[in-house]
Amino acid sequence: MTSTGQDVLVRVRDLRFAFGPRAIFDGIDIDIPRGKVTAIMGPSGTGKTTLLRLIGGQWRPQAGSIEFDGVDVHRQPRRKLFELRKRMGMLFQNGALLTDLSVFENVAFPLREHSGLPESMIRDVVLMKLEAVGLRGAAALYPEQISGGMARRVALARAIALEPAMVMYDEPFTGQDPISMGVLMRLIRTLNEALGLTSVIVSHDVEEVLSISDYAYVVSGGKVLDHGTPQAIRSSASEFVQQFLLGKPDGPVRFQYKAERSYAADLLDGAAA
Amino acid sequence: MKALRIVTDFLRGIGEATFFLLAIVAALPAALLRPRLVVQQLYMIGVLSLIIIVISGSFIGMVLALQGYRTLADFGAVSSLGVVVAFGVVRELGPVVTALLFAGRAGSALAAEIGLMKATDQLSGMEMMAVDPIQRVVAPRFLAGFIAMPLLASIFSLMAIGVAGGHLIGVSLLGVDEGAYWSQIHEKLHPHDIVESLIKSLVFGAAVNWIALYQGYHAAPTSEGVSRATTSTVVVSSLVVLALDFVLTSFMFR
Ligand SMILES: Nc1ncnc2c1ncn2[C@@H]1O[C@H](COP(=O)(O)OP(=O)(O)OP(=O)(O)O)[C@@H](O)[C@H]1O
Ligand SMILES: [Mg+2]
Repeated sequence: MTSTGQDVLVRVRDLRFAFGPRAIFDGIDIDIPRGKVTAIMGPSGTGKTTLLRLIGGQWRPQAGSIEFDGVDVHRQPRRKLFELRKRMGMLFQNGALLTDLSVFENVAFPLREHSGLPESMIRDVVLMKLEAVGLRGAAALYPEQISGGMARRVALARAIALEPAMVMYDEPFTGQDPISMGVLMRLIRTLNEALGLTSVIVSHDVEEVLSISDYAYVVSGGKVLDHGTPQAIRSSASEFVQQFLLGKPDGPVRFQYKAERSYAADLLDGAAA
Repeated sequence: MKALRIVTDFLRGIGEATFFLLAIVAALPAALLRPRLVVQQLYMIGVLSLIIIVISGSFIGMVLALQGYRTLADFGAVSSLGVVVAFGVVRELGPVVTALLFAGRAGSALAAEIGLMKATDQLSGMEMMAVDPIQRVVAPRFLAGFIAMPLLASIFSLMAIGVAGGHLIGVSLLGVDEGAYWSQIHEKLHPHDIVESLIKSLVFGAAVNWIALYQGYHAAPTSEGVSRATTSTVVVSSLVVLALDFVLTSFMFR
């Protein structure tokens, strides 16, 4: 990696993290370049969501460091951490909308909490953000009245409400029909240019993600397997990456979650009992 | 070995709950600065508990009047019926029964609400928006419950003594002299009885709220976790209220 200093917004170094005995990251290095769209891809359960939560400082790594704009996220007092978070927007995998607030109020929430803007301006900003994700008409609805895909778009509007420096998208394309998928992909790209954002997209929708990103990482088994421009990733020499890109069931990745005993042994046990 | 685990788990729970309470208390000033959030919760926690409190208060008052009348009649002292009802309700049943009902009505709802918010990532979503959930969600609810409990207990006591409770049975039905009913209460019920009653309900309210919010906030993020948090809220807070009542009463008993 040649990128240094100013070009890198988030710098992950030798990150180690485990849930109890189960290691999720086993020493990974990731650089998120400033102003670019970076994809982080990997099979389900590798810890992509976990990585975003670590970057946001919700969880603490056992070793290694994560710097956001030169500041070590995990060495900050709570107040400083909160200041950092105002500059990160995060789109949760399930939207995480506040269910007792309307769509409008959900998008207005971070503005009301942090911006101190007068009501009329808040209204304008919220309507602008909702218009951008195509849901201005749904402003008065409540989260239980909209679909999962719509909820994720509302969450996107909310994530960009404070005009953060970086937005982290956790599986933004899941549950989107082809039209809103296309709109969303373009939107992520446009927002990135127009607002001068840095975007991190976590996804396993390989083609979609590669087509809009400038740089990509493939993570699996607690390691970074490959990284590079989308073209470089597409022509990766790694057997794993090829399997992942092409979606083949056979190869170095196993579809099965790691089991203690063989399938036959498990079944025989049942027969014996 | 297993007993040791249970003991250490219990102690860890107590420690966690204490830290949680300290965090709430630290967030209270900020919650006071946003009275709208507290008022909203006062409605959810207090106003929506009113019906059950009013009805229960009336019935308890009627029962106390019936029971008291029979005993007093033997001594020819039925004119003291008002005091008997008032003492029972103000000193004991008002705070205790209100707290038990409050745990069942408001406490369980609080635990389920917070637990579900946690299970659906709403709390961590807030954290990622640099909003402290303890300050934004937990503290206003705690404060609202703390304010609501003494008010609810007072309403309970008034209902029990008044025209829909003890008064209805004693004066309207059994023919106790109305003037005697009220004047005896006025004469015998001292301000310190009322103060002690308020202290009790403040303590019970804080305890029930603390338990409910803790259970919700530390619930496992699953449907089973939320249901367990709701159940433990009702069970634990009922026991704690009864135990605290014994402790407080023995201090106040003279
Ligand atoms: N709170 C938790 N406690 C224990 N283990 C967890 C917890 N959260 C996640 N895990 C484990 O960590 C691993 C990584 O989870 P994570 O949600 O980060 O995966 P992911 O890469 O985002 O998967 P997906 O693509 O399906 O969203 C999973 O195998 C999961 O079992
Ligand atoms: Mg995930």
